[in-house]
Amino acid sequence: MDPTITVLVYSSLAAAAAALGAAPLLVRQRLPIAWIGWSNALAAGLMLGAAYALLLAGLDLSAGAGAAGALMGIAFAYWTHAVSRTTELELNRLEEMSADYGYKILLVNTLHSSAEGVAIGAAMAVSLPFGALVALAIAAHNVPEGTVLCSVLTSRGVRLSDASGLAVVTNVTQVLLAVVTFAIVAAEPSVLPWALGVAAGALVFLVLFELLPECYRQAGPRSIALVTIVAMGIVVLLSGRGI
Amino acid sequence: MDAVLLVLGCGLLTALATGLGAVPFVFVRSVSTRTIAYSNALASGLMLGASFGLVAEGTRFGAWQTILGGVVGVAFILATERYLRAREIHFGEAHGHGARSMALILIVMTVHSFAEGVAVGVSFGGSVTLAFVIVVAIAVHNIPEGLAISAVLRPRGVSVAGCAGWSIVSSLPQPIMAVPAYLAVGAFAPLLPYGLGFAAGAMVFMVFEELLPEAYERGRKAGVALLAALTLVGMMVFQQWL
Repeated sequence: MDPTITVLVYSSLAAAAAALGAAPLLVRQRLPIAWIGWSNALAAGLMLGAAYALLLAGLDLSAGAGAAGALMGIAFAYWTHAVSRTTELELNRLEEMSADYGYKILLVNTLHSSAEGVAIGAAMAVSLPFGALVALAIAAHNVPEGTVLCSVLTSRGVRLSDASGLAVVTNVTQVLLAVVTFAIVAAEPSVLPWALGVAAGALVFLVLFELLPECYRQAGPRSIALVTIVAMGIVVLLSGRGI
Repeated sequence: MDAVLLVLGCGLLTALATGLGAVPFVFVRSVSTRTIAYSNALASGLMLGASFGLVAEGTRFGAWQTILGGVVGVAFILATERYLRAREIHFGEAHGHGARSMALILIVMTVHSFAEGVAVGVSFGGSVTLAFVIVVAIAVHNIPEGLAISAVLRPRGVSVAGCAGWSIVSSLPQPIMAVPAYLAVGAFAPLLPYGLGFAAGAMVFMVFEELLPEAYERGRKAGVALLAALTLVGMMVFQQWL
């Protein structure tokens, strides 16, 4: 298979995983708020684990470029929130019904998944197993993220099947950026440590800015800390076994 | 015997360097609620970055061992918190939640110094040729750890000198562990991934359970996230690649 097609397939599968997030809502119409918190924490832990692996790979290639890339990733993620005026937005409000809020949530999710796309594309350029690992972590992370988005959307009257579809659609930028990042790095390999750094920096910022603050409002700090650290540990273990 | 004294003396020097982490707080005059939020964010980023570095080093010796060490580290924090919660503790003028955070970060950072001490001893590895390079590297690497400790202690009422003193105390296990590890590299090297994993697990868990929730509660989440993300990356680059 052509490597670009491989990246397309893996990133599409990861994006499609978001639809699985609707599954818990088939069982219960309205999820207990603590479950949403744990879903966010699971997503946060997987993403931090992926960021760890990406940053390490980037710094190993070139400490300067990896670090500069990471700073750019943080700055970019912060800037997108600042210009879209979403820095003070609460992301998981189930009662808020305004259309403006709904569009902002979809926008935030779309921006968030672009950073994940860069992560998959850059990791695939390091090696296929590493790319598959990052794609797996992102896919696993998309499931609870889909659950949270579906809960928010269904609570304001969107049908569950449509909500799961929208959850996948917000990840389209992920597929796009995975393929574009991979193609750019293939054409110009010296960009790789930069791309790895950008992905890691953006992921770290998004975890600290979007996921964790919501978590702590939804469940106690102890359970959130446990879920997050276990998810991180799994990614670290997989990435540390020579993959 | 000379080599042992050298390792011990170098270890003491690196411990003293930790005290330098308190210096930036000479310039922070006002201590408000916001200061606590951003100091917590700073400490969180430093500790997460340091843990990433520890895990990266630990997994070189063995991924499973590192993770197992991490699990024990988390269990250790849970047990310590249980112990602290059961008692009415005071730390200077602070008590309740604040005093518990202060006690916890000192315990966590002190315990983590044991693992680092072993790492120092093992890396000397019987040859003292690179000794001074390693000593300088470790001393420099200890400064941000002192900064993390001071960031938790200072806004809760400890003086700058007190912050420096506690930072140095937290690093004393380094020389104490470095000497036996240096003398018996063969015996200590297999323990290293467990120790590094333990230290990382304890630090990361403390960040997620104690420091970050309080930071979000007291500060703006954009500022907290930005500061923690920047210090995380900075710490990882600083400790691993400089």
